[in-house]
Formats: sequence, structure tokens, C-alpha cells
Amino acid sequence: MANVAKKVSWSGRDRDEEDEPPAAGEATPLLNGAGPGTITHSPFLRLGQLSSVDLDDDVRELSLDYDNCENQLFLEEERRINHTAFRTVEIKRWVICAMIGILTGLVACFIDIVVEKLAGLKFRVVKDNIDKFTEKGGLSFSLLLWAILNSSVVMVGSVIVAFIEPVAAGSGIPQIKCYLNGVKVPHVVRLKTLLIKVCGVILSVVGGLAVGKEGPMIHSGAVIAAGISQGRSTSLKRDFKIFEYFRRDTEKRDFVSAGAAAGVSAAFGAPVGGVLFSLEEGASFWNQFLTWRIFFASMISTFTLNSILSFYHGNPWDLSSPGLINFGRFDSEKLGYTFQEIPIFIVMGVVGGILGAIFNALNYWLTMFRIRYIHRPCLQVIEAMLVAAVTAAVGFVMIYCSSDCQPLQGDSVAYPLQLFCADGEYNSMATAFFNTPEKSVVSLFHNPPGSYNPMTLGMFTLMYFFLACWTYGLTVSAGVFIPSLLIGAAWGRLFGISLAYLTSGAIWADPGKYALMGAAAQLGGIVRMTLSLTVIMMEATGNVTYGFPIMLALMTAKIVGDYFVEGLYDMHIQLQSVPFLHWEAPVTSHSLTAREVMSAPVTCLRRIEKVGTVVDILSDTSSNHNGFPVVESSPDPTQVAGLRGLILRSQLIVLLKHKVFVERANLTLVQRRLKLKDFRDAYPRFPPIQSIHVSQDERECMMDLTEFMNPSPYTVPQEASLPRVFKLFRALGLRHLVVVDNHNEVVGLVTRKDLARYRLGKEGLEELSLAQT
Amino acid sequence: MGLAARLVLLPGLLLGLSAGQGLGFGRRPPPQSGPEGWALGGGRRLLSLELLEEAEDLSLALLGTGLPGELPPECRELLVGFANSSVRLTGCLVRSARPVRLCQSCYRHFQSVTEQLENITRAVGNSSESNCAKSLLMSDRVQLVVILSQFFNSTWEKANCANCLKNNSEGLSNSTIEFLHLFNTTLTCFEQNFQGQAINLVPSNHTEVCRNCSQTYRNLNALYNEMQKMTGQGSDSEHRMHLCIDVEDAMNITRRLWSRTFNCSVPCSDTVPVIAVSSFILFLPVIFYLSSFLHSKQKKRILILPKRIQSNASLVNIQEKYS
Repeated sequence: MANVAKKVSWSGRDRDEEDEPPAAGEATPLLNGAGPGTITHSPFLRLGQLSSVDLDDDVRELSLDYDNCENQLFLEEERRINHTAFRTVEIKRWVICAMIGILTGLVACFIDIVVEKLAGLKFRVVKDNIDKFTEKGGLSFSLLLWAILNSSVVMVGSVIVAFIEPVAAGSGIPQIKCYLNGVKVPHVVRLKTLLIKVCGVILSVVGGLAVGKEGPMIHSGAVIAAGISQGRSTSLKRDFKIFEYFRRDTEKRDFVSAGAAAGVSAAFGAPVGGVLFSLEEGASFWNQFLTWRIFFASMISTFTLNSILSFYHGNPWDLSSPGLINFGRFDSEKLGYTFQEIPIFIVMGVVGGILGAIFNALNYWLTMFRIRYIHRPCLQVIEAMLVAAVTAAVGFVMIYCSSDCQPLQGDSVAYPLQLFCADGEYNSMATAFFNTPEKSVVSLFHNPPGSYNPMTLGMFTLMYFFLACWTYGLTVSAGVFIPSLLIGAAWGRLFGISLAYLTSGAIWADPGKYALMGAAAQLGGIVRMTLSLTVIMMEATGNVTYGFPIMLALMTAKIVGDYFVEGLYDMHIQLQSVPFLHWEAPVTSHSLTAREVMSAPVTCLRRIEKVGTVVDILSDTSSNHNGFPVVESSPDPTQVAGLRGLILRSQLIVLLKHKVFVERANLTLVQRRLKLKDFRDAYPRFPPIQSIHVSQDERECMMDLTEFMNPSPYTVPQEASLPRVFKLFRALGLRHLVVVDNHNEVVGLVTRKDLARYRLGKEGLEELSLAQT
Repeated sequence: MGLAARLVLLPGLLLGLSAGQGLGFGRRPPPQSGPEGWALGGGRRLLSLELLEEAEDLSLALLGTGLPGELPPECRELLVGFANSSVRLTGCLVRSARPVRLCQSCYRHFQSVTEQLENITRAVGNSSESNCAKSLLMSDRVQLVVILSQFFNSTWEKANCANCLKNNSEGLSNSTIEFLHLFNTTLTCFEQNFQGQAINLVPSNHTEVCRNCSQTYRNLNALYNEMQKMTGQGSDSEHRMHLCIDVEDAMNITRRLWSRTFNCSVPCSDTVPVIAVSSFILFLPVIFYLSSFLHSKQKKRILILPKRIQSNASLVNIQEKYS
């Protein structure tokens, strides 16, 4: 019953039970029949008082204003701008998309080249060392060298993340998902984050962690998009005075989705997959023109990466490396599949789903432990270093114990380690561990049958599974795509080998093909993306006929995995208590009405309000409201009046800063009229209320909000059902929804947090408690 | 002019010739399609006197041999030449297949095959032999000469023989000669030391070989690695160049003898320190997690509680629905 409440509020549980009995009642699921016995007030008693209650977003996760505020200033501006100007705006959008593509491609190139260089250097040093000590004895020194190299590189990577920009940790996909969903995660699209992310990824991959550099590309692309579209950087304090039209959440979000798509496309060489990724994650705000622009950005990005890398690899215009990871070509005849194999792929999907669920469950517990106990930055750095050292040690021991020797075949192995093998042979375990994960994946896909023996693969899968699970969630920037692919490829190959053994070497049982299917199934089982992942895998293999089996494997993996636990990204979003709105409201929630969901009472402002009141409301720390319904001014403050509009905190702050008071407007004619530009210039970092000085005299002035408020906020009647409200939120990207009664009087306010609490659990509808982190 | 008329009579032939030229060498752009195109190109080509004469020869030869479909004698000669050299090369390739001596023993034959083929294709310049290029290389579906020459070339490339030869492929390169010499020394050493023990066929105890030949083996190995490094430069790591197959195979044989048959490479295994160090590293996180579990202060989460109107009616409503 109370499992969900426990899940999310695990650390506040004691508090719930001991300190605040009513809270415990509230935290229990709604539907189990246990009457919580909450004391009820007559709702209208408290309404209308300008009392402070916590009702809107907390400080940390604000929502984004995806709803255009159509106030009078907006209309004025629209009137001023003529038709040609709007056409220029349209052209500017395309230019920005092209720039996003190019820059994302360049960043991807940079990451790829630097990782290759540094990792090559590291592996050469360690290899020379191992070769030296194999003859003379003293391999323990090589082990120490490897471990120390790894952990010192990771230390740097982790320090910059933990101390400079913690939001750059992890793959960034959950954060971008939240951003596209409409949740403002602080610092997520800043230039500083991009820098830390790029350096962090390079360092953690070079540091030999079980991570990939593909996931963070998505975040990087998103940051680039957000930066370019604004034409300025607040971190650098530079304003290029371009693209000022796009300085608002709606436009920025469109570009961010283009950036995320460009990131995916650069990471996997999958432009269509990138577009679909944006579609899948930000699906509610979508139109065809936007899709077309995003596709353009994706294509540009993969093309940029491709051409630069082809120059770098010395065969210009060959255009053979469209992404950071290339699965290589799957087009030889034996790699085709037959009808009989389809059930086998489905079975692999089941395996992938189960393994993915185990992975997620383990990672869930680990993340909880981390949030609870390892929250100090220095501890996080030490943890990352330890993981790096252990990864090296595990790899070394595996290589050391392995007696799987394969003859050297020229260029198939990048860093062949001989160790105890005969001269002219290399240790096959070393191709898996002693390599960057991308290279290992490709060699699992493409090395000829017989390059790995089953024992090696089994041990590798087991160890890498735990390492990857342990690594995800560390305070380093790194993705989970490649480790998942690697785990999947390893057991997939094992599967293929055993299949070939069972069928006594039938020609169709090529282990490389099964490695690919295993990779798809495993990735699907962990991240639970469907459409975009299928297309990404398909494009990365460059083989359309594989679309069907990949889809089957992913689908099965998702179905099986969802039966146990949710996807890794969703899990992390939930653990961070982000009010994330899923695609649809929980199915059984029609009986809940807006009245039960909404927050009340609401702090309202009058149309002509005293400055002192506004300042007091804004500076009240116990409430951190962000949207204020504006009601008709009436002489009697206790009486609720009809709703006239909605005004945001940011707008009020700009008004206060420019001292737009009724009295002053009459006094000084010199003062120019406030334009929409003033609001845009302040975007996105509005100053806090404390920084605005309002003198005692000014407190007595009045403010006329009519011009600035949104005169037509979305409202619903009290009887509207939860799914109806949900749909409005999800489809329009709303931030506040005013609930009114029959007389158009404000009764309550629905915010994202009020809706995100409800979800479908094991026993029906449940209510979660969101926690401040 | 009569010449021009004759040329116009043979548009197909000349077109074929030009196409062959384009395919074989790519020195000139392929002609535009249509009679004007080739006529223009042909006119430019006919500017030199020699060409004029050869054109005469061509036409005479054509007229002289009667049926136009028959192979002219020069072409037959060329074909026979190619046949002979390819027979020699094939024989050589197969004979030196095991142990691999491809590059050392067949490079002359390969060179002669290349020359023969060049004779056939190069002839494009003079129009009499250009006929041969066309009729030998591209007048039927199978194109046997092309197939054969492609096979030779690809074999040669696969074997990476160019790496062992001098730049003008007129002989083995210095490093290869040195390597082969050292290889022979090593083998001789093996043989000499192995003789005594050949009677007792216990495969484990070959200490004498190991002791006596260790230096030569090491030198050979070092030289091989050096050569590998030399070829590996220049190109990037993903498409590293192989050494030529002769050298690779020789090295493989030696290494196999050394480490498998004689069991000479016994690396020191220091399992105990490795286990000690790795278990030390593996224990670090355990200590870390335990200590942070015991000493770190648990972070409390503050729940955000919803503020809303709770009416009994609605709760009853839900309970009714779901209980």
C-alpha cells in the first residue's frame, strides 16, 4: 500500500510517521480504503485572503513558461513588426538550426579525437608496461599503474563535475527529458555546463570507466542550441544583440529539441533517430515545420561530424564515420536473417528485458544509497576514483586469469596484449577490457566467429554488468548507452555461439548478428525507449532490413522490463523528485476533479495593487509562488472578485525594477514606456526580489497590472476531471491553470506538481510525495 | 578525305578504344557520347604524325585480315605473351604457397605479367593495338584476361608483397633480406640444437634450444617488431599495413616453434602479488561505503506537501470507486 510513498519519500519517512501524522495520512495512496481522516475546512473560508501558503513550485525546479503571454505589450509588438520582419525571423530560425548542427558536430569531433588520442596514449603506456613486466615479473606494478592512471584521470573529471557544475553529472538525458517536458532544471543549459560536460566525458572515458560518450552528446547539443538561439551568454556576460526575438521559453524549447536531435544524430550517425528522439521525449509540443527544421539540424550535425572526421582520418570526403559510434557494416550474406530466427530474437528480447530490469533495480538501490549517504562532493569524487580503480583491477584480473589466446590477425585488435599467450597471439579478454567501450562493442559485432570463447564472454558480461550498474549515477558525466550495448553484445554473442553449438554450426548462426540483437535488447531493457531507439539502432547499423528484428527485440524487452521496474531515466527523474508529466494521465483518474487536485487558497493580486503588497508577497520566503491570478480591484479586500488575468513573478520583478508605478507615470513624462524587450533582456535569469530596492515612499504607490498580465489565462471549472486538466497541461505546456467557480472567481490553482503526484501503481491510483532535494 | 571517311566508318571501334583508355588509365576524360564528341576527340588525337601513320596501319590491318571479327596477329601475340607469363606466375604462386614464399620467389613473374597486361592496355595510343585492347579486354561477357589480372593483383595486394620489395619492385628490400637471413640463421640454430633431442620426443624439455638460440630469436623478434613499426607509421591505426606475407609467415612459424613446440617462452607469473594488490583495491570501496554509511549524516529530504482543500466527500467518492 504505502509503497510508493515510501519509495519517493524514503528519507522523510520518519518525519512522516512521527512528526506529522496528517502528512502520513496524506502520503498514503488514495485508493486503499484507509480513510486518512483529514480535517477539512470549508474551502471558501480561507480563500481570498492574501495569506501565504506553499502552493507553487519550490525554488529548485521551476517550470518553464511554454504558454505565450498575450498581454498588451505583446500585441503592440506584433502590430509594430510587419510581414517581412516575420519572414526574417523564419530565416533566422533556419540559420540557427544550421549553426546548431555545425557546432554540435564540431563538439562531437572534438570529443572523439581527444578521447582517441588520450585513450591511445594511456593504453600504449600500460601496454608497454605490461609487456615489460611480463618478461621480468612484477605484473602487480602494471596493475597499480593502470589503476592509478585510471583513477587520477577520473578524479579530475569528477572534481570538475562535483565542485563546479553538478548538473553535468550523468548522461544528461533525464535532464533534457525534463526540460522538454517543461521542467526547468537549473543550470542545465548553460555554457559552463557544456564545458564541464565535454571535459568530463572525455576524462571519464579516458579514465576507463564503463561509460560511453554518446548520451552526453545529447545534452551538449541541447546546451549549444539554447546558447545559440539566445545570441548571448550570461556566463560570459556577452550579448551579441542578435536573435533577441527568441528570448523566451517557447522558442528556446523548440531550439533545444533541435539541439537534442542534433546531439543524437552526431552520437550515433542517426539523423532520423535524433528527430524521433526529440519527438518521443518532447512529443506534446510539436508541429511539422519544427520537425522539418529539427531534421535539418540533425542532418547538418551528422554531416559536419562525418566530413571533419574523414579529414582527420586522412581520407577526405570518404564520409564513412557518420557518428561517434559506428556499428560497422552489416551487409554480408550470412548476416541476413530468416523467418525461423524471429522467435529467437523475441527470446533475446525477453532476456534483455529481465537483465535490464535487474540492472535498473540494482541501480535504484545504489542511487538511493548515494542520495542518502554520499552527498558531499568530496565523497562523490572519492567514490568515482574508487570505481575507476576497481574497474581497472577487475579488468586486469580478468585478463590475467584468462587463458583464451587468439592468433594476431593484423589490424583486428587495436592494443593487443600478449601477457601469457604464446608469441604471435593475443589475450582475447584484453580486446574486451583493454579498449575503449566503443571499440569493444564493434569488435563484438564484427570479429569473426571463434574470436572469443564462451567462458571469456560469460565472465565479461557478468563483470561488466555490475561495473556498468555501479558506474551509472556516479558524479561524472557519462552515458549509459554504450555500456548497455556492450553488455548486450557480449551476452548476445554468447547466445549466438551457443546457438551455433546447438545447431552444430549452421551457417545462419553468426554470432555477430546475435551480438547486435542482444545489444538492442539490453539497451531497450535498460532505457525503455521504443521508436527512437529502434531507428537509432537501425541507422547505426546502416541496414534497414534489421529494423524488424531490432524492433521486436526492443519491444519485447520493454514489455518484459516494464512488468518489473520502470526505465532507468524515468527512475532517475522520479528519484530527483522532478514533477514530470507523462504522456497521459493515469487511466483510472477520471473521478478526481480539479477541485481535489488544485492547490488552495491562492494568493491573488488585484488589478491595481499597492507596491508594498506586491513586494511583501514576492519576498515571502515561505511561499515561492510564481504565478498570481489577477482579480478585479474591489474596495473590500476580503471579498473575492472575478478573475481578470494572470501575472508571473518574473514580470512583476521587471515591473518593480523599472518602477512602473501609476504615480510615477503621471509625474515623469520622460520615462519611456516599458516594452516587451525589457522582459526579454532580463530573461532567463531574473534577479531575485531581494536585490530590488523599494523605498518606503514607493511602497505606498500603486501598480497597474492590466497592461502586463496575461488577460486570458487558461481556466477550468472545478468539476473538470484530472485527465482533462492533464491534457491541457501536457498539450499546451501550461505552467498554471486557474480553477474558477461559476462566478469566474478564483478557487484554486493547478500546477505541474499537483498533477505529477498521481500515477498508476500496482494497486491502482497512487499519490506520491515529492521531495525537495 | 579518305582517312576521315574511314574513321567515320569505325565509330564503334574508336569509341570502344576511348572507353578502354578511360577505364585502363584514366589519363584522358572519356569522350562525350555521340558521333560529334568522339570525332572531335579523335581529331585532336590525330594531330601528331605518328598517330596518323598508325591509323593507316589500323585500317590496312583491318582490311587485310578479311573478316573483321577475327583476332589480328599482333593481338594474338600479345595474348600468347600474357598466357605464358600468367602460367609461370600461377605455377610459382602455387608452388610457394606453403611455407609462404610468394613475394620472394614470384615477384619477377608478377612483374612480367603486369608488363604484358600493360602492353595490351597501353596500346591505346596507337590505333592498331588499340584494337587489341578492345578485343582482348572488353569484347565479351567473361573478359578472362581482366579476371585473371584482377586475381593476380588482388592476391598480390592481399599478400602485401609491395612491402617487401623495393620501391620500383626490382628486388627485395634491404630489411626483408636482412630478416630472411636472420630467419634462416634462427632455423639453422633450431635444427642444430634440436638434432640431439629428436630421439626422445618429449615435447617439454628443450632447454638446450631455448638457451642457445634465445639470442637469435630475440634479434629476429626485435627486427620483426621494428619492421612492423616502420610500416605502421604513415597510416592510421585502424588500417594498419601488414608486412608482406613471407615475413609474417616466417615469423609465425618461428614463434610457434619457439613457444609451442619448444615451450621456450615461460613468462614469470606472479600471481600472489597480483592477487594481493587487486584484492586490496577491491576492498577499498567496501571500506568506503561502510564508513560513509556509518559516519556520514543521512540527508533528510523535505517533502513538499500539497495544500489543498480536502473534503470528505471526494475521498469517499474515491473509496467507493476503488474498494
